[in-house]
Formats: sequence, structure tokens, C-alpha cells
Amino acid sequence: MSLVELRGISKAYGGVHAVQDVSFAIAAASTHALVGENGAGKSTLVKILTGVVSPDEGAVIVDGEPRSIGGPSAARRLGIVAMYQDPTVFEDLTVAENVFAGRSPRTRLGAVDWKAMRREASRLLEELGADFAPDAPVRGLGVADRQLIEIAKALSSSARLLIMDEPTAALSLQEVDTLFAVVRRLHERRVSVLFISHRLEEVSRIADTVTILRDGRHVETRPAAELKHGEMIRLMVGRSLDALFPKEEAEIGEPVLRAEGLTRRGVFSNISFEVRRGEIVGLAGFVGSGRTEVARCIFGIDRLDAGRLEIDGRPFTPRSPRAALRRGLAYLPEDRLRQGLIQPMSIERNVTMAVLPELAPGGIVRPRRERRLARSFMERLRIKASSPRQIVRSLSGGNQQKVVLSKWLATEPRILILDEPTHGIDVGTKADVHRTISHLAAQGLAILLISSELPEILGMADRVLVIREGRLVGELSREEATQEAIVQAAAGVAS
Amino acid sequence: MKLSPQTLAQAAFRLREAGIFIALTVAVLLFWARANNFMTIANWQDIATDVAIVAVLAVGQTMVVLTRNIDLSVGSIVGLTAYISSDTLAHHHGLPLGVVVLLAVTIGIGLGLVNGLLVTVGRIPAIIATIGTLAIFRGLLFEITNGQNVLAFQLPERFLNLAARKPVGLPFLAWIAIAIAIAGAAVLRWAPWGRDFYAVGSNPDAARYAGIPVGRRVLTAFVLSGALAGLGGFMFAARFASVDAVAGTNLEFDAVTAVVIGGVNVFGGSGTVLGAALGAVLVATIQDGFTLLKLSEFWKMFFNGTAIVVAVTIDALVTQRLQEALRRRRRAEMVAAREQGAAT
Amino acid sequence: MRRVGLGVLVRWETVLVLLILAVGVWCRSLSPLFLTRVNLLDLATPYIFIGLMALGLTFVIIAGEIDISVASILAVSVVVLGQIYEAGANIWFAALVGLLVATGLGLVNGFLVAVVGLPSLAVTLGTLAAYRGLAFLIHSGEGVASFPTQFTNIGIGYVWGQQVPVALLVFLGAAVALGFLLHATRFGRYIYALGANREAARYSGIPVTRARIAVFGLSGLLAGIAGLVYVGFFGSSRADAADGSLLDVVTAVVLGGVDIFGGSGSMVGVVLSVLLVAELRNGMQLDNIGGDTQNIVIGVLLLAAILAGNAIRALQTSGLRTRIARASKKEVVRTAGQAEGTT
Repeated sequence: MSLVELRGISKAYGGVHAVQDVSFAIAAASTHALVGENGAGKSTLVKILTGVVSPDEGAVIVDGEPRSIGGPSAARRLGIVAMYQDPTVFEDLTVAENVFAGRSPRTRLGAVDWKAMRREASRLLEELGADFAPDAPVRGLGVADRQLIEIAKALSSSARLLIMDEPTAALSLQEVDTLFAVVRRLHERRVSVLFISHRLEEVSRIADTVTILRDGRHVETRPAAELKHGEMIRLMVGRSLDALFPKEEAEIGEPVLRAEGLTRRGVFSNISFEVRRGEIVGLAGFVGSGRTEVARCIFGIDRLDAGRLEIDGRPFTPRSPRAALRRGLAYLPEDRLRQGLIQPMSIERNVTMAVLPELAPGGIVRPRRERRLARSFMERLRIKASSPRQIVRSLSGGNQQKVVLSKWLATEPRILILDEPTHGIDVGTKADVHRTISHLAAQGLAILLISSELPEILGMADRVLVIREGRLVGELSREEATQEAIVQAAAGVAS
Repeated sequence: MKLSPQTLAQAAFRLREAGIFIALTVAVLLFWARANNFMTIANWQDIATDVAIVAVLAVGQTMVVLTRNIDLSVGSIVGLTAYISSDTLAHHHGLPLGVVVLLAVTIGIGLGLVNGLLVTVGRIPAIIATIGTLAIFRGLLFEITNGQNVLAFQLPERFLNLAARKPVGLPFLAWIAIAIAIAGAAVLRWAPWGRDFYAVGSNPDAARYAGIPVGRRVLTAFVLSGALAGLGGFMFAARFASVDAVAGTNLEFDAVTAVVIGGVNVFGGSGTVLGAALGAVLVATIQDGFTLLKLSEFWKMFFNGTAIVVAVTIDALVTQRLQEALRRRRRAEMVAAREQGAAT
Repeated sequence: MRRVGLGVLVRWETVLVLLILAVGVWCRSLSPLFLTRVNLLDLATPYIFIGLMALGLTFVIIAGEIDISVASILAVSVVVLGQIYEAGANIWFAALVGLLVATGLGLVNGFLVAVVGLPSLAVTLGTLAAYRGLAFLIHSGEGVASFPTQFTNIGIGYVWGQQVPVALLVFLGAAVALGFLLHATRFGRYIYALGANREAARYSGIPVTRARIAVFGLSGLLAGIAGLVYVGFFGSSRADAADGSLLDVVTAVVLGGVDIFGGSGSMVGVVLSVLLVAELRNGMQLDNIGGDTQNIVIGVLLLAAILAGNAIRALQTSGLRTRIARASKKEVVRTAGQAEGTT
């Protein structure tokens, strides 16, 4: 009998299916890998298993019995525990206390039983092969160590299914080896692992069974030994190219942005590329590969440790977003709500946020000009709102994204960096955004497009750069670029 | 040579306690050299009594600050309970002192409960909530006193003798403070809910996720702070005998200063009662020295304020830099390992 | 939808006006002198220094910070002014130095918050004590008591046929100027953006650090101006100036509808609530209620204002959520149709 089984699971958000009719079973004491592109539905399944969301249809069967998982604590009672990419630790507390946070062992008098806690933590850590003491404060520990703490935490609460979401993203090779050794040891304790990773080599190394998802649908579940990398990739890609706006032909001119040897220690290194006038360069790679980090550094949000940047042949040092804006750079950030919008403000105020210096000569805002500018963008990008004074918080996600895009277009940039410009927005708006991007390139903008959606990259980009673990690992022309070629480069798999 | 991250971090904690000891030593030597009656047993007994009141308040304040909050109303609670304690005794000479203590502590609990509810249920930032209750509690005290003072001659002998008693050479009030500090330290060390204060202040979201009832813990911290301020009020009445409507004004600054220079992080999550108690010793000693040197009492205020700013700055700079350095080194190690791996 | 947003604002300010009228009726019942024109115009004069500090604090709170050191800054500037004047300098020169010192102390707060990265709560709690101590260290005596009339007129003088208090004009002038700064300028826009979402503000190229420092500098400057009015009104420059006025300052700002968590608030609301607090204190004075007992009322008002604000926001967001859900459902239907059309 399998430990956990998913039967016909479907879940839709606002009418869009995140997963649809997914069924597979996880055996006891095994490692089950879940692979698929970004947006294939993996995180939705994790949320369903951990009780964060409940499925619209289908059943989760644990130990042969259908269960409704009401919340994270209900999941924990069933023995299902998730370990997140960014572990939720208490930095000020010791390792042992983190392992037993909120449920420390007690003495008969009801006091914290430090001895038992230390002994238990120490035993668990030893079993996991950790080289740090249970008394160490977590503040000084790295990601790998923190993961071990999370695993110990899961074991101490007698977990039977441990979900690891991209656990190796921030680990060194040795640390990955250690982690895998731990995973194998977990099987001895009859604990199963649901392993989610973009790194297909690791999947082949550690997984017993592989389930492949695509576009929210279950594609295949097979023993790992029977699946070659090439086949995995073929099964993963091939998402439908829905509602993609046909790219306008643009005349590609001289280089506008040139990057040479960009390095931020421990994040990415030696990144060199150029973007020409009228050109859309796609920057592909998995989440956490360093795509966003490169963009943040170019826009002056984070510091570069080394490397040179040139705009129009003149050197450019990204000191601050302000300085970058002055040189004609604009960056549409990945997190719309946290980095893009001022939610309680009106559309017009958001749109003009980055051009206030021009819009407010002598420091005084001219409301009429502001409204005119906002109106023109509302028309140009088809923003659906009752008036430019409508508060942004009350708009739909797609319209919010158009407001953020308007903000950056208002600066009349020469170089536009777009980070996941259509993430989480509806199909119609997506088409609008693609139309706008394509049109901008035709007008002579140099565009760097970061996206997890391969169809988007393939449809829009003239050239595709692939980044893996902070390094540029491939450059594909429009003709060479296929979904398989990109995934192969991004996953580090030879074809 | 390889220093492990843990030892570095522990070293930083040690540094703080060492810092207080050094500051204390310097202060003591300075006062000793300048004020000839500083190094006397009588003076140290005075200091001990002053330390006692500040320390009791600091223990409560530690709990609150650990949860990422602050309680500025303790000075007013001290005033209110001090007055009520002595006024009650003035009218009922025969009342057992234990009953009076209980009364003061109960009132403190009630007022602490008000603070806690405003912060947890009302979602008012602690600093604003307790600025409000600071004024309200003080206003209540004015209402109650109606312009009257309680004077020493109205009080029973045994109450007046309380502060003067010195079992084993240490003032009685200091013994109370020591007991409270030990109890406070024990709670923070052994009580599961006491440990939760650290978790709540360290990472409130993670605490919630770990199933810790965050709101109830914050409420508990404020109630404890109120209760200890109530006890502090009783001690205040015992020490000064005559109590009026401005009693205990600005005491919250002594408590906060003691806590902050004692190494309790204003962002919550770290700090010990021992540190806060050491902070209280430093605060009271320096204030006593200022008095002996006939420095205006406003030096005290200046000292308190500057000490808070300096301690917070040092905390932020040292802790954050240390963490940054650790992270950077860690990252560099990872990259090196990765490159090594790529080369082979 | 716009009506909803503005509606709440209008309603809040209407509530303040109604409260002012209600308290007026109560005061009238206490003393027939209350509603005479002289009393009405004079009513706010003793509280103008509080109003001025509140105007400065409004900027700080909208920017998502707090400055509880304003009354202590006032004290330092007042003492500096007194000492320089006593040393024989021109009174206006002394006033200028006082303003500069106040601005400087505010900038110190700003530096510690924006550059060093400390929480403004801890910083200004520290400087609240430190600056007050500093004021006493500069001069702990009685202070200067005999300032020239042309200077004290700022606090107690009248213009326009001896009818209108100068202090009131100073306050209203400052309110108009700061209202303009807050609502019509780029800087004002920055302040709202900072308070609502500092990260997005930074991404938008707003000079976040400079703006945060400036906010504290402005708060200091306003405390300095408040100091001039204070010296003018009370005719003394003691180091305990404005001690205990923090409660009124914070209450005036919060009661004026400024969100304690930053990002929203209006100058009109703050001006109205300053007048309300002044009127309330005045009425309680007429009713022979002692200063510290008055504090109970003001303190309750402060807490009630925040509780009311929190409750209103909770209602708003729950309403908004259902509205968004409805809107996005429509959107999906619409785009589904459109998508079919394009492919």
C-alpha cells in the first residue's frame, strides 16, 4: 500500500486551472521526484498536501483512507511536513530549540526538559550527519545547516512524508552529497521524501520514482531508472503556446547595453552580454539561477562586486535605481505587490511615481499633467478602471501589472528590463502585455526579458541567454531556441 | 585556522556582558576617585536599594522587549501602586504587608492586562499604546490622590522598617529583587511559555507556524510587566515612605535603559534577565555617582538617553555586521566548493 | 469606487468638525464667556506650540516612522535661544540659531534611522531623554524672563485691530505651507510612498534615505518653530519647556486621521484635531479639571482614535476583498471570451 495517494486532484484559481485531474501515488520509504517547468503545478500540489489550500476536486488518500487536510497542523498530524526553500528558523535560538520550537519536551514539573531536548536533538543531528552542536545559535549557520535543522524538526514530529521544495538550490556540491545521504537514511526510518527539483541529474541520482507535470496535468509517473534526461525534458516541455501575440518585426541596431564580467560574490559570476536597439533578449533559467539578481544589480538595487557596464558606449556604474533611471534604464520587478506598486495610491500617482522630477518642475506636482499622462497610458495599455484616481489596490492583477508597466514606460527608457512581466495575470492581459513589449522593441527599445514561461521567451525574444547557478551557460539564436534546448542548458544536461 | 560561526556568534554575546562589566568598573573607579564617600558600605547599600527597584521593573520590561514590544507605562503603574499601597496602610495600620503586596501586584496585573489587550486585540503599536496608558494611569493617580500626599508619619513602623532591614548585610529590597531576577531567569529558561517569548520576538510568523499562541504570549508579557511594576510600586513606597502623585515619574526610562544596555535586543528575540539586571546595576550605580558628585539629576536623563541610542547602535552594527560577515564567508565557501567541484 | 475612498476621508473630517461643535456646546454650557469672539480666537493660543509639533510629526508618521523626541528638541532650542540672547546677541539671531539647532537634532534622529538603520522608536525614545537632559545641561536655571515685546508677540501678540492672535496665524500659515508641501509637491508624494511601501518607493527611484532624513529634519524644524511660539507665549526659556506635551502632539496627529502605520493622512484632519484638542483642554479648564486628569481624556482619545482607525480599515479591506473577487471573476469571463477571439 502506498503512503500517500493523489486521486483526480484539480484546483483552479479564478477560473484558471493550476492543476487538473492529477493522480499518482507515493510509496512508503522512497524518494518520489516531482518535476516540471515553473508553473507546471508543483507548488499547488505541495500546498494541497500541506493543507494550505484545499482541492476543488479529487481526494488525498493517506494510509488507504481519504483525508481532508484542513491546515498545516492537520497535515503535520498525518505526518506530512514541508521543508521550504527559505527555512523558517528562529535565528536567536539554539539549534535544539529550533528543532523543538513550540513543542519542547517537558519534565514532570512542566518545565522545559533541556537535557532531553539536547539529547534528542543531538541524536537526530548525529543521525543526519550534522557537524554542529545542538547548543549552537542558528544565527551563524548556513542554508544547508538550516535545512538539516528543518529535517530534524520534521523527524522529531514523526513525519512520514517530507516534502523538499528545491532543497539543493542554495547548496554546494558537498552539501548536496550530504543531503542525499540524509535522504537515504530517512528511508531506513520509513520516511518518504517528495523531492522537487529543476536539476535533473539530482533527480536521477536520488529519486526512485519520477512524476512529470506539464501545464497542471499529470504526464507520466515512472521508475527513475527507466527515464533518460532527454525523455524527461521532452515530457516536461511542449506547453501550449496559447494567446501569444505575434512578434512585430523590429530593426536591430547598435548595442545599447553592454555588460562585461558582472559578478556578485556567491550569487552570480562573470556574466557578459549585450542588448541592441530594437532587440528583445530573453534571459532564461530556473528560479534561483541568478536571473533576477543580475537584473537587480544592473538597476542599482544590489551591489556588483566586479564587472563593467556600458550604456551607449559610455561606462555606467549602477549606484542606485535613481542613477539607473537617469541613464535611461527601467526595471519592472518580479514582485508586483511588494516592489512594483504603492497599493493605497491611485493609478495616476503610481504611474507618475518614477517621473516626478520631470513632472514636478520646482518640486510642485502639476495634477493636470499627471492626469493626462495617466490617461494616455490607460488608453495605450488598455487599463480597465473607472478613473485615473481609482486606488490601485482595487484593480485586478492584470490591470495592476499594466499600471506598473506604465510607470516604467513613463520614464521613456532606452533599456527596459522586464522580470516575469506576465506572471500570475490572465490570458487577455498577457496578450496586451506581449503586444506592448513587441511594439516597444519595434520602436527601438532594447529589452531584456526575464521569464519562466518558455513560450513567452520563444515567442518574444530575438536571442535567448540561459543562466544556470549564476553562470551564463548558453546563448541561442531565435532559430536555435527550442523549449528542449533551453531546458537542457538550464538544467545542465547534455543532450 | 578556522573559527566556526557558532563560536564567533557566542563571542559576540560574551562581548556584551564584558562591555557592561568594563563600563561598570570604569564608572566605579571614576566615582571612587572623585567622590570620597562613594566606596562606603552605606553608599553601596543605598545603591543596592535603588538597583532593586530598577531591576524588578527591568525583569518585566525584558519579557516585553523580548516579544518585540515595549512598555512605557511602568513608571505610572509604579506611582499608582505605590500610592495605593501606602494609602491603604495609612488607613489600615494592622493590615498584613502580604495583603498589601498582593493588592499592588493585582492592580499591576489589571493595568498590564489593559496594555496587553490594546496591543494584541486592538493592534495598537506598543509604544503608542503605552504612551497613552502612561498618561491615563498617571491621570488616575492624580484623581485618587486629590492633591494629598501620604507621609511617613502616617505609616506603621513595620512598613517603614522594611526598607531599612538588611539581612546578611544586603537591604531587604535587594533580596526581593534578587528573588525576582532568579524567578524571571527561571521562567525564561525553564517555562515553555517563557521560552516562547524568544520565539515570538525572533520571528513572529514562524512562531505562529510552529503553533505558538503569539497573541497570548504577548499579553502574558505585558501582564507580567504590569505585575512586577505593581511590586515595584510597593517597594517604592517602602523605600521613600512618603508618596505623592508624581511618584515614579520617568522610572520607565531607567527600566528601558537597563534592559537595552543589558543586551536585550530592541528587535526582540534575544537577551537575558542577567544582562538586564547587570544593566540595572550599571544604571543605578552611575546615577548614585552623579548624585554624589553633585551633578545635576539631568545628567541622569542625558545618560539614559545616550546609553539607549549607543547600545542600540552598537547592537545593530555589531550583530548585523557579524551576521553579514558570516553569511559572506559562507557564500564564498560555497562558491569555492562549487568551483572546485566544477574543476574536477 | 473613488467615492468610497474619498467618502471615508470626508466622513472622518466631518466627524472632527461635529466633535468640535459638540465640545463647543459643552463648553458654552460651562461658561457663558466661551462663545465670545475673543475667547474663540484665543482658545488655541496656549496650544499652538503643540499644534506646530503635530504638523511636523504628521510627516514623520505618514512616512511610516515615529518621532517622540519633538518636545525635547523644543526644549533644547528654547534653552539655546535663551542663552544666546542673554549673552547679548540680537533676539532674531538667537531665534535663528534655535531653529538651526532644532533642525540639527532632528537630522541626528534621521541619520540614526535612515543611515545607521535603527528603528525610529528606539532612536527617538533615546533622544527624548538625551535631548531633554542636554537642555538641562546647557542651562538648568530659571531661564531668561525678559524678552523684547516684538519677539514675544509671536506668542501673545495680536494683529488686525488687536483681534487675531499672531500665534494662530503662525500656526495656520505653517499648516497651509506644510499642507502644500505634503499634498502638492514631489517631496510630499515621496513621503506617502515611503510610508505605504518603502521597497516599491526605492525601486521607483525615490531617494529613500535622503527623504527619510529630511522628514526627521522637518520634524525638528517644526519643534524649533514651536519653541519660538512657546517662548513668546510663556515668556520663559526653561529647560523643562513643553515637558509632558508629547501625549497631545501624538493624539493630535492620530486623531487627525493619520494612519499610525504610515502611508495616509491629511493636513486638514490634523489641523482640525489640533483645534479639537485645544478646545477640549480649554473646556476642561473651564470645568476646573486638573491637567493630569485631563490627560486621562486625551489618552483615551488617542487610543480610541487608533482603535477606530483599525476597525474602519478592517471593514474596508474585507469589503474590498469581496469586490476584487467579484471583479476578477468578471475579468476571467471577459478574457476567456477575448482569448478565443485572438487565437
